[in-house]
Amino acid sequence: MNVSETKLETTTDTSRRLLFAWGLLVGLTLVSLVAVLGFGHGETGLAAAAVALTASYFKARAVLDHFLDLRRAGPGWRHFFSGTLIFLLGCLLATYAFA
Amino acid sequence: MTDTATSPTGNGGWGALSELPGNPIMWVLIISELLVFGAFFLGFGVSRMLQPELFRAGQAMLDIRLGGLNTLILVTSGWAAAKAVQAGGLGRVALSRRWLAAAMALGLAFLVVKGIEYADKAAHGIDIETNTFFTLFYLMTGFHALHVVMGVIVLAIVGWKNSVENLETGAAFWHMVDLIWLILFPIVYLVR
Repeated sequence: MNVSETKLETTTDTSRRLLFAWGLLVGLTLVSLVAVLGFGHGETGLAAAAVALTASYFKARAVLDHFLDLRRAGPGWRHFFSGTLIFLLGCLLATYAFA
Repeated sequence: MTDTATSPTGNGGWGALSELPGNPIMWVLIISELLVFGAFFLGFGVSRMLQPELFRAGQAMLDIRLGGLNTLILVTSGWAAAKAVQAGGLGRVALSRRWLAAAMALGLAFLVVKGIEYADKAAHGIDIETNTFFTLFYLMTGFHALHVVMGVIVLAIVGWKNSVENLETGAAFWHMVDLIWLILFPIVYLVR
């Protein structure tokens, strides 16, 4: 395999990865909408809140890892962002649980 | 002038930030914005906990479909910005600018949808002083919308000054705007 073929393969892989991340973001958004709208326009319940906030976590990770390329960073930074997201979304879920 | 290549830390003087891809200053901004909006979100959650009926009534007046549409618009715009960076990295300047133009157009579409939503609320006599829910709603979504406006301007600038570093930095700002919306959307619109 020559250099140009290697470059082409890498470019294709990047394109696929970005497309996969976009598909994941769209899919998780639709899952959240279905989970909440499935309960009508009244209270969604804690389960639907958990689904929506969990989907939000994975969407945020997809943006960080693939669009912002955080996957290239060390594990310390990846854990920092994961921890911040889990803390924030966990606190928000707690406020819904105790409301 | 300090020679970054021979600096004592050997990382350009950015410490741990040098491990992050792209411009370290942009990551300082991303972390700062996450913390500022995180405080907003926690304030929203605590206020909702204290006044659940008021917040449910306020959320019932929001259009989930418009919020969902704006989410799809923004994540697609983020993908276009990432493709612009990829094209720029391959030296394909014209293609990179086309992807940036697509990202900007979607950013403007987001603002149009947001404008429709605000106009609908205004038509129903709802404004920032209506109650606690709408005060927080307008503050959070308005502050975010201002970031979208700034993001579109940043994308236009990096489309003009089209170096790979500029593209990465401009796109990183845009992804940060995307990231904040992905948390804002479920807590304000979805979860009731």
